[in-house]
Amino acid sequence: MSGAGFLARRLAQGLIVLWIVTSATFALMHLAPGGPSILADPKLSPVERRAIEERLGLDRPLPEQYLAWHRNLLRGDLGRSYMYETPAGRTVVERVPNTLLLAGLALALSLALAVPLGVRAGRRPGGPADRVLDLASLAALSLPTFWFGIVLIILFAALWHLLPAGGMTTPGLEDSLRDRLRHLVLPVAVLALPITAELLRYVRSGVAAAGRAPHVPAARAKGLTEGQITRRHVLRNALLPLVTVIGLQAPILVGGAAITETVFSWPGMGRLGVEAALGRDYPVVMAITVTVAAAVILVNLLLDLLYRWIDPRVGIE
Amino acid sequence: MSPVRRAAALALLALAGCSDRGTAPADTLRLALINDPILNPVLAPDVGSVLVNKVIFPGLVRPDEQLRPEPDLATTWSISPDGKVYTFALRRGVRWHDGVPFTARDVQFTFERILDPKSGSMLWSDFAAIERVEAPDSFTVRFVLSAPFASFLTLLGYNAGIIPEHAFAGKPILDNTDFNRGKPIGTGPFRVVAAVPGSSLTLAANPDYYGPKPRLARIVFKLVPDANAQVAALRAGELDLVTLEPASLPGVLGTPGLTIRQATVPQHYYLALNQRLPLFKPPLVRRALDLAVNRRAIVEGILKGAADLPVGTIPIAMGEWFADSLPRAATDTAEAGRLLAQAGWRRSANGTIRNSKGEPFRFTIRVDKGNPSREQTALALQQDFKAIGLDVSIETVEFAALVRDDLQPGRYDAILIWWTTPPDPDQYSYYASGQINNNVAYANGTADSLLLAGRRETDPAHRRAIYHAFQALERQDPPVLVLYYPREIQAMTRRLSGLPRLGIRDALRHSETFSLGPR
Repeated sequence: MSGAGFLARRLAQGLIVLWIVTSATFALMHLAPGGPSILADPKLSPVERRAIEERLGLDRPLPEQYLAWHRNLLRGDLGRSYMYETPAGRTVVERVPNTLLLAGLALALSLALAVPLGVRAGRRPGGPADRVLDLASLAALSLPTFWFGIVLIILFAALWHLLPAGGMTTPGLEDSLRDRLRHLVLPVAVLALPITAELLRYVRSGVAAAGRAPHVPAARAKGLTEGQITRRHVLRNALLPLVTVIGLQAPILVGGAAITETVFSWPGMGRLGVEAALGRDYPVVMAITVTVAAAVILVNLLLDLLYRWIDPRVGIE
Repeated sequence: MSPVRRAAALALLALAGCSDRGTAPADTLRLALINDPILNPVLAPDVGSVLVNKVIFPGLVRPDEQLRPEPDLATTWSISPDGKVYTFALRRGVRWHDGVPFTARDVQFTFERILDPKSGSMLWSDFAAIERVEAPDSFTVRFVLSAPFASFLTLLGYNAGIIPEHAFAGKPILDNTDFNRGKPIGTGPFRVVAAVPGSSLTLAANPDYYGPKPRLARIVFKLVPDANAQVAALRAGELDLVTLEPASLPGVLGTPGLTIRQATVPQHYYLALNQRLPLFKPPLVRRALDLAVNRRAIVEGILKGAADLPVGTIPIAMGEWFADSLPRAATDTAEAGRLLAQAGWRRSANGTIRNSKGEPFRFTIRVDKGNPSREQTALALQQDFKAIGLDVSIETVEFAALVRDDLQPGRYDAILIWWTTPPDPDQYSYYASGQINNNVAYANGTADSLLLAGRRETDPAHRRAIYHAFQALERQDPPVLVLYYPREIQAMTRRLSGLPRLGIRDALRHSETFSLGPR
């Protein structure tokens, strides 16, 4: 199969997945009890309620709202936010770089920690390093982000005054790189912790499995040092599945970011999503769904291409 | 230590190097919001937006420290003898934040938008009594009402900030996203200089402000969505004032550098008993339930003392309108049992009460999900009612669903909820028969005529007598079971002074008098 044909087919599949995801979100959102928070004011008179519903198109039958949303999407119009009275697409896009910065740094930090630690644990399965890291990663995975974030804020900001309690910058110091970095430390740490633990476990089992492969004793017999064996013969094989795992982590990263962003007042897309979901801001929820789904589809497509490049045997049917 | 690790450790040390308290200038007040505000008082749908708009957009009048209207953009006014025509003389020489002179045309424009529900107005029902707005000259505005409406002045000072006609140039106010989201133009003591979506809104003192010169250089509203994070930021010295839930109070008490103050606010929390149901129709039954509630336990135990015991639906924050001479609601379970017996409910052998057909007294209290104080209050009520033999269950429901699917269509037994009202005793729309906010279907002919008379009476002494009579009537035929009047708990830095003793919402219209002492 040619590269171009592969790409076209995968893009078509991606569009179908996108349609399924947005339709499911639309259905779930309207099935949930409650409604837009703008209509939840007990004081609204029937006149005001009708005017709001008419303006937002909420007085139309659901199938009509569903079709209208897709029709507008094709024109690149994601509607207006109910809560913010802004174009929903622009409101979401404004927040994307902030989430990418937070999630990207957290992922980078996780990889930087998980690979060397996972190698150390996997090289001697059952050894002391493995046992300690196993326990530590289990603990890290079990810590509730919400609680852990608040504890760090109380310690580092309220008690020791070492780092800011939240936000992305100090208002008025937007140009200071140092100020931005200081604001990143705690949220990146909180977001990176469970991802590090997750990746560590994959690296560990990959390294342990690769270490049992017959070519490893052969390399040892050849007289290579343990370091050389790990780098050349174990790590390469163990890292391939890691690429897949990172692809799977992408949506989890955005979900985890939602909580981290809320605790640390980080102006990201995840927090916007939480606010929009709680306030039933349908256009914003849908805009975020499209953005995240499209990003996940694209990331996975890129990873597939990367796979074909790393290992030419992959993808030939 | 490897070079990489050493570099990482050094970087961390450098970042954490100095204390974080010195990052804001001493004359900047930092307050918290939970999400991005809409910077337009006509469109503002939520409390956060209202807070910010109080600072940016003055109205014709504003509430003073007793919540009575005092001059703001209007200097004097007169009311016609029939109470239907209000004529305001406007302040001269006022300029909008962009330098354009403020005139009567702006007031007229603002109220034309407010009275058009299609404009996105969230203030329509406050001003539905206005028949027309006239601007006979540049500094006179006349409102002609369809009927006398005594709370009109209070409402003008409540949420009705004036917006500039020239900023909208004939276009719908909803479409001016730039204005509504980041570049608003008001006449207030502070003007917006920076808006970072999701992060902060920075206001600087307005040198052309018509009142006393603002004492702060800046007010920064920071977006901190999580209540625990707000408290932590206050303790870290990154916020200067936070309003607290009672449950957060112990975590803040005794923190050096902070003071805590409680302000009464025009709110009443109550248990709505649906009088469409025969069960709650008889006043005797509602009085019995009222006597069964141990409010002191709720106020002391759940609300940490941050609430006042009630008389009726007009809260203590309303000053002279509150009937302080009447006894506060008290607990008397024996009397409750007697009243229930009078209403035909008798105790059976197993302690529950039943009517003549042998049916138990059974109903469900609904409460919104997620607020610990309210959920615990519902549990306390369940216990109190159980003590007099009622069979009560509790359901938690999301707030929006509670309002839309239960309260407004009237499909419920009992709901634990509250009203936040303007600081005026006019409760005609809440408790007069058949009115739009009368969600409990309360119907009492005497209450109807008192509430109508109170709405029309412009003489304060007569009006006070009317509302005190209404509160006395409420003890005999309670429209709802008023549980308490909450106090707003304000935790703030000791450096902050000049705050009037009001809820933060009303205090913010006096932001020019706020000041921060040296660190």
